[in-house]
Amino acid sequence: MLEDTLVIAEKTKAFDKVKELNQERTVRVKQLKAAGKKIIGYLCLHPVLEMLTAFDLVPFRVLGDMGERVTRADTCMPPMVCPFLRSCLDLALKDKYAFLDGVVMAHICDVGERMAHIWRTYKEYNYFYFMDVPHTVHPPALDAFKEEIKGFQSSLESFVGEKLRVEKLEEAIELHNEQRKLIRELYDLRKPAPPLITGSEVLQVIIALASIPVDEGNELLRRLITEVHERRPRLPEKKARLMIWGSVVDNVSLIEMMEGVGASVVMDDLCLGTRAYWESVEMTPDPLDGLAYRYLVGIRCPRTLRETALYRNKKDYAADLEHRFGYLRSYIREWNVKGVILQSVKYCDTHGYEVPAVKDYLQKLGVPSIYLEHDYSYGSLAPLRTRVQAFLEILK
Amino acid sequence: MYFAGVDIGSTMTKVVIIDESVRICGSVVGPTGAEHRRLAYKVMEKALQESALSFERICYVVATGYGRLNVPFADKQVTELTCHAKGVSTLFPGVRTAIDIGGQDVKGMKIINGELVDFVMNDKCAAGTGRFLEVLADALGVRVEDLGSISLKSSRKADISSICTIFAQQEAVSYLSQGTPLEDIVAGVHDAIASRVVGMVRKLKVEPDVVLTGGVAKNIGVVRAIEEKLGCKVLVPDNPLLSGAFGAAMLGRKIVLEALAKGEPIPRSERRLKEATFFS
Repeated sequence: MLEDTLVIAEKTKAFDKVKELNQERTVRVKQLKAAGKKIIGYLCLHPVLEMLTAFDLVPFRVLGDMGERVTRADTCMPPMVCPFLRSCLDLALKDKYAFLDGVVMAHICDVGERMAHIWRTYKEYNYFYFMDVPHTVHPPALDAFKEEIKGFQSSLESFVGEKLRVEKLEEAIELHNEQRKLIRELYDLRKPAPPLITGSEVLQVIIALASIPVDEGNELLRRLITEVHERRPRLPEKKARLMIWGSVVDNVSLIEMMEGVGASVVMDDLCLGTRAYWESVEMTPDPLDGLAYRYLVGIRCPRTLRETALYRNKKDYAADLEHRFGYLRSYIREWNVKGVILQSVKYCDTHGYEVPAVKDYLQKLGVPSIYLEHDYSYGSLAPLRTRVQAFLEILK
Repeated sequence: MYFAGVDIGSTMTKVVIIDESVRICGSVVGPTGAEHRRLAYKVMEKALQESALSFERICYVVATGYGRLNVPFADKQVTELTCHAKGVSTLFPGVRTAIDIGGQDVKGMKIINGELVDFVMNDKCAAGTGRFLEVLADALGVRVEDLGSISLKSSRKADISSICTIFAQQEAVSYLSQGTPLEDIVAGVHDAIASRVVGMVRKLKVEPDVVLTGGVAKNIGVVRAIEEKLGCKVLVPDNPLLSGAFGAAMLGRKIVLEALAKGEPIPRSERRLKEATFFS
């Protein structure tokens, strides 16, 4: 066969927990719900999770399901939009998210905004909040976003029936920052050659973390990091160290396919990956300032246009690229990335705008890249395999 | 020493056998068909016959194309992108952009110093492929191989606005019923396919020399339409169907010569010239 045999590394006990949460994401939150906790679903990266944790609410990230054909969502949403968001809505309409006590959504992109509204139109929850998130990082945008977080806070205060104590919020920030720190430690284990943990395993860890309370996630991560360090035998050496960039990847099959044909996925710029965790919240005198900055400026999703060097009067494309994508340079250097796979679901204009510029930037760095588009289905993976194999042949 | 390249495309299976001086000893083009798992070796046998060689005398076999897995008589599988780039750059050393239009896919390849550096491919849509031309030829009641010469007679090409194969077919038929001359409709169809292909390949920042391969490259109307849109000459090899299989044979040659130069054994598989089964 053409594929390398995918060596399944010896799974650890903490990893069994991760597997379990990947098979059934709701397994833990349903227990917590039975014990009286309230579970709040959230979409994408901009809902401020520290707020939920501070009110003792359990955040649960809304994801799609590549294996479930979209049948209901097309009756209330155009079909030529983000297939990930169509899948999320479809699951909601099929009551797969009926266990949630409330939902927080945000103006991530235009499709996300309208999908949130349709979700709310068709489904009833005890709590619903929609965050308005500016699309630039200009100072007035930051002020407006801080006000929006205040609004989110008051809506939670009326839902829970008590005022937020600032020390509770600070505790929550510390807990979430701890998770970010642990994730960066986990990513350090991808730096050696061969890496100590595969790309598909890391994605499974992050999906698990998006399905349990933050303190339990931190405990899980601590155990995982110890166990991965002690893992024997080591993973096999692969042909190429790749980074994946792009729109949401919430199913391991894409990364498994890449790793199955001989790549090691060692780094990512994805929202179930670095984008969710890389930046910590700075402890500011008013915690809302640190939160606003981290969630608006710190999250590297292309839904936000960076205040670029172009903002100055004189056009300077090279400076603009460096300003927007300079962080990729350190990912590539520190994780010894040999090639980058840019990928996006179809109809994602947010990522589509960014692709030519990212490609130009990577070319400037001398790092080969390819762009792949897929329609968020298992069926679209087979043709992509040839492209990934051809890319690995280029890298040789 | 002889080297074979086998390119199993969606529509056609191509085999090229070369010797170490890169002389083509034999080549065969046969339909792929639904039974390609069973029948690919028959095309190989035919190529061996044509070259008057036994299978044992073939030093190395590289399989490529979408049917490249499940070729029990291949030593190695390489993607069609790498093989096309190798084949085209051997035939045209100055190539920077290669376009291959096959039966159901379109590939654009950026080549620098003979090496593939970037590529684009269509997906899940037959618009702009050989299949598109087949459907349109059928709707217009002409043979697909005649489309090229028909279109050269056109003085005012019809505007086919849709890039969807089915809708383009409807448009063409509606032109027919309005009495639009056949050659103008065919020229319009070629223009539509060229727009689609050029739009895709432009993402690679097209530079000359541009080479067009694949079955559609035999259609002079499409070649002219692409030239017009790119604003530069488009080169076409003598047999544009064979560049993938030729490239595969060239890669096999390279692997063997490199191994011999280093004094290493040739990295062969346990190949067998027979039909593939699901258990092989």
